[in-house]
Amino acid sequence: MNVLRAWIEERLGLRAVTGFLAKKEVPRHKHTFLYYTGSSILLFLGIQIVTGVFLAVYYRPTLAEANTSVARIITEMPFGWLVRSVHSWSATFMIAFVIVHLLGIAFTKAYRKPREASWLTGIMLLGASLAFGFTGYLLPWDELSLAATKVGTNFPKAIPVLGAFLSRLMRAGDDVTGDTLSRFFIFHVSVLPLVVMALLGLHLFLVQRHGMSIPLQEERKNVKVPFLPFWPNFVFREAGVWLVLFGLLLTVAVVFAPGLGPQADLMAPAPEGVKPEWYFLFMFQALKLFPSKILGLNGEMIAVLAMMAGFGLILLLPFIDNRPFDRKGRVITGLVWAGLASTVAMSVWSLL
Amino acid sequence: MKIPHSLFSRRVFLNSLIGGWLAALGAAFISPFLKFILPPTREPDQVSVPLAEVKDLAPHAAKAFSWGNKPGLLKKNDDGSYTAFVTVCTHLDCNVTFIADQRRFYCACHEGWYDENGLNVSGPPPAPLRRLAAVVEGDAVIVRKPG
Repeated sequence: MNVLRAWIEERLGLRAVTGFLAKKEVPRHKHTFLYYTGSSILLFLGIQIVTGVFLAVYYRPTLAEANTSVARIITEMPFGWLVRSVHSWSATFMIAFVIVHLLGIAFTKAYRKPREASWLTGIMLLGASLAFGFTGYLLPWDELSLAATKVGTNFPKAIPVLGAFLSRLMRAGDDVTGDTLSRFFIFHVSVLPLVVMALLGLHLFLVQRHGMSIPLQEERKNVKVPFLPFWPNFVFREAGVWLVLFGLLLTVAVVFAPGLGPQADLMAPAPEGVKPEWYFLFMFQALKLFPSKILGLNGEMIAVLAMMAGFGLILLLPFIDNRPFDRKGRVITGLVWAGLASTVAMSVWSLL
Repeated sequence: MKIPHSLFSRRVFLNSLIGGWLAALGAAFISPFLKFILPPTREPDQVSVPLAEVKDLAPHAAKAFSWGNKPGLLKKNDDGSYTAFVTVCTHLDCNVTFIADQRRFYCACHEGWYDENGLNVSGPPPAPLRRLAAVVEGDAVIVRKPG
């Protein structure tokens, strides 16, 4: 065993990495729980990869077979309903934890210098997660997923100059067709995973590079913050969190397995109760509320531009709030609360 | 090295020249892919609906047909002529449904309404439904792009 280890060490020189992890420390304070949100996302991402590969074994991304192949997975394949349910619920859990992770960082101002690049890659990973959700929603190819995809791929059209091109790029033409389905599938299982791996690699590297950010409130206390060794103490705690989350996910997936609507028909009228996934509800509600004309301008274009501006502000937050770390940033905290409250309110409203 | 009176050094000149070449080469490589990912979209020049299918419709009743990848609707008018619509909502592209007894079009996605002439009357739709030209020719109704 030792010979093998020495052989590997001589060729790969992994001591630099293991030595780093052995010495790594995690600050311990009342916000330490926020550090678990990142690793929880990794747990759900891992579950998505494993269940996704299993689903892709039987799934067929064609107009004729998409819906029936999903029906076959959940009715005929042993535990197929569970694999699909876990994949669907794990997506929800993952996005929820991505949002909590982001909010935790925004509230503790952990995006400030030198961690701007961690924030940028993080927001890009959020975008990729939402793209995963959007492309995955179409794949069962039922009435609701078709209608939601029509809306979602039409809505970039309102972006000036590039909009029409973007919409055609997403749809593979002017309409949502079988070509759209193949395109969404290949994005979901090949392009987006590669993008996420690259961004995630950079994100994790940056987190190790800078170490864990200690919230300002803790540093102000003028007492030295105690540290917890990463290995084994913190890893064991994380393992506990993972076990609880995994149990919760399995329970929810078993009790609330998602159904499958009737096969999508390109010619049929949109069904009643078209709703996107919960994390797009606020956009859905905004589109419903914006009138077609605002002061003679296209209302949809204003809605899209407003959302793009909002996303741009979030992306550039570290450069907007580029003050030194010892400033409290009450305004930003207030804005984050306001943004969160309005998003939640819009989402709840859309369900009424 | 910079020659007297020159605006830039030899290094800057060569770097820009080679950089420009590389950019042109890159663009030449990328353009076929950009073309490739957008399939040619065909909208039909005309669609023919057999007259037998719509002849017996009562005025204000309608029959669905396919306009390429989009749903269409052929509606009988009071004078016996036909009006053809592309029944795709002008708001965000959902397929609309014709509610015959209310003589209105309804879009379930964002609660948009059109009257029976396809005019947007309520909800978010910004424009009337797209109309097509429909004429009876022999034993078929020929639907064409208007004009």
